Amino acid sequence: MARRTSLPVTFVVPTIAILLVLSMVPTLYAIVIALQNRELSTPDYSWVWLSNFVDLFLDRRFLNAVWVSVKWEIVTVVATMVVAIGHGVLMFEVASPRLRNVYCLLFIIPVLLPRVSAAFVWKFAYHPLYGIATYPYRLLTGGLIFDPLSKPGTALFAVASVDVWQWGLFFAVIVLKLLETLPPQPIEAARLDHAKRWQIHAYVTLPMLKAPLISLMFVKMIESLRSFDLIYVMTRGGPGVATETLDMYAFSQGFIESGKVSYASAMAVLMMIATVITFTMLWKRVQA
Amino acid sequence: MKPIRLAAGLGAAFMLSATVSTIALAQAPVCSAPVKVLAQPRDGLTLLEDSKAEFEKLAGAGFQIDYLNENDRRAKSRADASTVGNYNVYYVDEANVALFASSKWIVPLTDYYPADYDYADFDPGRQKVATFDGKVWFAPLTGGGDLMVYRKDVLEAAGIQPPKTLDELIADVPKLTNADKGMYGIALRGARGSGANVWRWMPFFKAYGGQWFDGDKPVFNSDAAVKATETYLKLFKDSAPGTQTGSWDESTGAFLSGQVAILVESTPLSGMAVDPKTSQVVGKIGFLPPPSPLPGGGYGHGLAIAAKANADDASKKCAGLFIAWATSKENEKRRLDAHQFGELNRTSILSSKEFADIYGADLGQALAETGKVTAVNFWQDPRWPDLGDRWGIILEELVTGTRTDVKGGLNELEAYANELAKKK
Repeated sequence: MARRTSLPVTFVVPTIAILLVLSMVPTLYAIVIALQNRELSTPDYSWVWLSNFVDLFLDRRFLNAVWVSVKWEIVTVVATMVVAIGHGVLMFEVASPRLRNVYCLLFIIPVLLPRVSAAFVWKFAYHPLYGIATYPYRLLTGGLIFDPLSKPGTALFAVASVDVWQWGLFFAVIVLKLLETLPPQPIEAARLDHAKRWQIHAYVTLPMLKAPLISLMFVKMIESLRSFDLIYVMTRGGPGVATETLDMYAFSQGFIESGKVSYASAMAVLMMIATVITFTMLWKRVQA
Repeated sequence: MKPIRLAAGLGAAFMLSATVSTIALAQAPVCSAPVKVLAQPRDGLTLLEDSKAEFEKLAGAGFQIDYLNENDRRAKSRADASTVGNYNVYYVDEANVALFASSKWIVPLTDYYPADYDYADFDPGRQKVATFDGKVWFAPLTGGGDLMVYRKDVLEAAGIQPPKTLDELIADVPKLTNADKGMYGIALRGARGSGANVWRWMPFFKAYGGQWFDGDKPVFNSDAAVKATETYLKLFKDSAPGTQTGSWDESTGAFLSGQVAILVESTPLSGMAVDPKTSQVVGKIGFLPPPSPLPGGGYGHGLAIAAKANADDASKKCAGLFIAWATSKENEKRRLDAHQFGELNRTSILSSKEFADIYGADLGQALAETGKVTAVNFWQDPRWPDLGDRWGIILEELVTGTRTDVKGGLNELEAYANELAKKK
């Protein structure tokens, strides 16, 4: 007969309490501020309740920021997963074990770089006159200028490519290691049935890795929400508002332009609510 | 006799103790901890760091300067000043001094600026920019107006005289562009910001007769603003690549590397353009005031005493001493010796023989001429950064083609300005 003991409670309660304080206090504070009209330039404030939220839905830059954030999320998550699976499978198929180790080392380096450093490196690489990334275009077109970071149609993709460069290659290493852990029998059975290489991966290995790949995708979805540092360094939300995501716009309103911390908090609260709802729905759908 | 001896003894003891205390006080360091400074990169400040030991000897503690580029410095100093107050000294500029002063994030400088360091020696124009509401708030590190710097060789080859009017400039710039050879007629600033694209746009606005406010009523949404914006966008077609989302660094970088024929920019450019360490166009350039009726954009950047981090008088004195030492004649002479033209602010240095020997008479004359047309183009109000930054985003959208309706952009800015006006 199991004896009741207070030991689990003794260990769990303080930890949960600390976690609750750390997570709930800033969250509640953000909600409270969002209901006021605080600005950095003055200590005076009053309660405006839902006024900031109403103003947000009349603000064209906020609506634009929502759309840019959605685009950013889709582009970076899809491209990262495609690059990760493509490179992972390619390394698994064509590289010797020793070469795989070399590739793994090389592919991990980008993600080890601080985001701000990576952003500066690529900002210069995309320079229209001196950039190494724009050099092939200049070479092929006889010196025509291509400035991807100042074109509204290309800026988001140029910044997203840096994110994919960091995370896609890192995830490729994880995909390779996952493929190496699979039991060889199903793959050998498929080969005996004369399945082609792509069929083996499309119908055998990748379905076997469905759960970890979905987990990777969720990790990337959460990571992509934190795009601020890359965008801040590379475009500051420009050209115009073409790369202004929600976190970038909230920071602009809170600290760069107006000092409207309540307005910025309202955005943060909406982001939090939208994220929780979206992720809960996706998680339930995946588990169903 | 005894009372007299006793009195004499007490008197001597008092004198001795007073002398000892005075000596102790005289030797007491002014600063008890290193001065923390938030600034943007300046050659003058980098040079200052070489003399750190001198300040330590003078004040009893060193200093630490954290550098951020202009927009980041503005954002960070605003956030720091209004919340935690980590820095003793802020780098402020003409665009945010009104906000910092009226929000009481900085304290009047002259209360803590030692008289020996002679504040009155600073260029009067820069003193004016440092003054808000009748009080002086910062000691200048840089400042001035605009100059037109042009490539003599490129203009001669094209058979074009240096433009003296805005109409001539508008006509000449497309003729000077030869993209196949990597030459562009002009370089402007496209990046958002009251101190970035809006700063370069404002002389056009003022040249066409634009005004910001009449009392609390915004009056900038006018034909002058539309014409200024259209002219700016037209000139941008011949602006060097990279400037559409760039600012001072990109436009001056393009000129100094030999890709731009004409540049109207803040005066520090002229010093950089004649310095072989920073310029590939030395010996090929001429200087003139901005084409008429463009006014020069009067500006000034400098160091101010933070209010929050310097809670007591002793801390304020320490910060004041640092600012006085950093902007002293001795340090300015070091900057002159290092050929840091843009870091010179004192009349005693600017009018010295050494200055004329280094930079020549042409530049001196152009500076004197441009001084006559230098003006304050922005709205001198704490709400200016807010309004200016909002216009900066709309202007960046127009420059990069994200939006095309100039009038629509101005209408949007006017609606925002009306909201700001209500806040006063």
